[in-house]
Amino acid sequence: MNPLTRFIFELQEISVLIWRSFVSLFSAPRYVGEWIRQMDLIGVGSIPIVLLTGFFTGGVLVLQTFPTLEYYSIQNESGRSVATSLIRELGPVLSALMVSGRIGSAIAAELGSMVVSQQIDAMRAFGTDPNRKLVAPRLLALIFMLPLLTVAADIFGLIGGAIVANQLYNQDVSVFVSSARNGIQVEDIIGGVIKPIFFGLVIGSVACHKGLSTTGGTVGVGRSTTDSVVIASIWVIIFDFFLSKALQYILDIGRI
Amino acid sequence: MLDSDLERTIRADGTEVITDFEEPINDRNRVAPVIEFRDVHLSFDDKVILDGVSFSVRRGETKLILGRSGGGKSTTIRLILGLLKPDSGQIFIDGEDITDYTEEEMMHVRHKIGMVFQEGALFDSISVYENVAYRLREQNVDEDEVEHEVRRMLRFVDLEDAIDKMPAELSGGMRRRVGIARALVGDPEIVLYDEPTAGLDPPTARTICELAIKLRDLQDVSSIFVTHEMNNVGYLSSEYAIINHDGEVVFEKEGERLCLINTEVIMFRDGKVIFNGTDEQLRSNPDPYIHKFVYGKN
Repeated sequence: MNPLTRFIFELQEISVLIWRSFVSLFSAPRYVGEWIRQMDLIGVGSIPIVLLTGFFTGGVLVLQTFPTLEYYSIQNESGRSVATSLIRELGPVLSALMVSGRIGSAIAAELGSMVVSQQIDAMRAFGTDPNRKLVAPRLLALIFMLPLLTVAADIFGLIGGAIVANQLYNQDVSVFVSSARNGIQVEDIIGGVIKPIFFGLVIGSVACHKGLSTTGGTVGVGRSTTDSVVIASIWVIIFDFFLSKALQYILDIGRI
Repeated sequence: MLDSDLERTIRADGTEVITDFEEPINDRNRVAPVIEFRDVHLSFDDKVILDGVSFSVRRGETKLILGRSGGGKSTTIRLILGLLKPDSGQIFIDGEDITDYTEEEMMHVRHKIGMVFQEGALFDSISVYENVAYRLREQNVDEDEVEHEVRRMLRFVDLEDAIDKMPAELSGGMRRRVGIARALVGDPEIVLYDEPTAGLDPPTARTICELAIKLRDLQDVSSIFVTHEMNNVGYLSSEYAIINHDGEVVFEKEGERLCLINTEVIMFRDGKVIFNGTDEQLRSNPDPYIHKFVYGKN
């Protein structure tokens, strides 16, 4: 199969996977317990890494941009620069990448080992639709939890930025906060929450598809896991560009 | 049942015999195959897996499928469960043509079938209890009944002690037995075994075969038993289970007076059925390939 055919084929498989899981939400059985368990695993479980990522990213942004801003004598705008770049861009993308590494790999590995040990076959043989029981809860959890994680990362990023500005560059916290508040608009926040919804879908569907299409025993599981993280991360970054462009157009943000 | 369904006849000795009209229909059902393959073809890319396979399994019968690894044996089982679809040909389960059934339509067919997977395929994130209870949980059966059923099935495979263990704590043979218990929940009419004894020591393999014999002879289960071990063929096609005077299950060998007819052997080679008959016919078959498979040498 040539690469283009393979790509289109995989895209089709992923679309079917998403569609089937989506449709399954509208009829019983619904496995609500499984939804909640996945939200806990994916959402609550990822809080530490996402908060740390946000905190240090905010901090390093101030660390690196403050001298430049000072050169142009606009160091009072450091809050604005951190807030816009974090909320529009870095918060969603970095959280998605962290979650892709932590959760995407776990999903692909778990589903992959279930395939090679025939547990997926067993599930189907006992009358359970794996889309319903395994894929839908994971997609749902990622779509709901990633935006929340992103917001948490944004907040910790701003805290990190404020601490660095205050401790290393002796800026008053109130200056930082007011410039951050002036710098961001409601549209920025909306855009910053819409992005992770899509990223969650990308990470979840790629990981589930890679996991469920595992072949070739334990080596295959390793391959699926790697593929899932690499492919999901690349697609997050590519999607981010096009989403940013679309959001700029739709919400009219990023013009100033 | 309506009274008109019953036919009353007075015998010569004056006793009245009531014949249930439904009985003959059931009898006809016994002759009709439970599983039937009609000219089934299947290939993956360029590799031909099944090349015009036809066979049938009668009610209460056990079909042993023999053949080398990769010869299409496990694929046959996956086709019966609807986990795969054939390229052409038809598959009937209980008289229903399932060839073009969707996943949803297959769900009710699968309720009639219990499946024992190669390595057990237990769900390793849940306990033995939950594994065996899996099917009942899916059907929202209440907890008391679930526990009763799970204990009954685990007793059948003699593993009631392991009820709270996790699959990772079990030995290979125990995993297969839990797999059998899980397959039997809901008393399926058909049980499919996919190499249930592969990689087990002889006594444990014998135990698994005894379970299959018990199901066949005491519970009237129809089954397909995929294997490549001649030992299994020997046990299943020459021994039967009965309950003795003390109420214990005992296994007896067929002999001069009794020959088992509820177990037959099919042999696959390169996706084709090359033999279909009794074990006696298999052992005396002159075909060099079959002879070598049965005796391990020419």
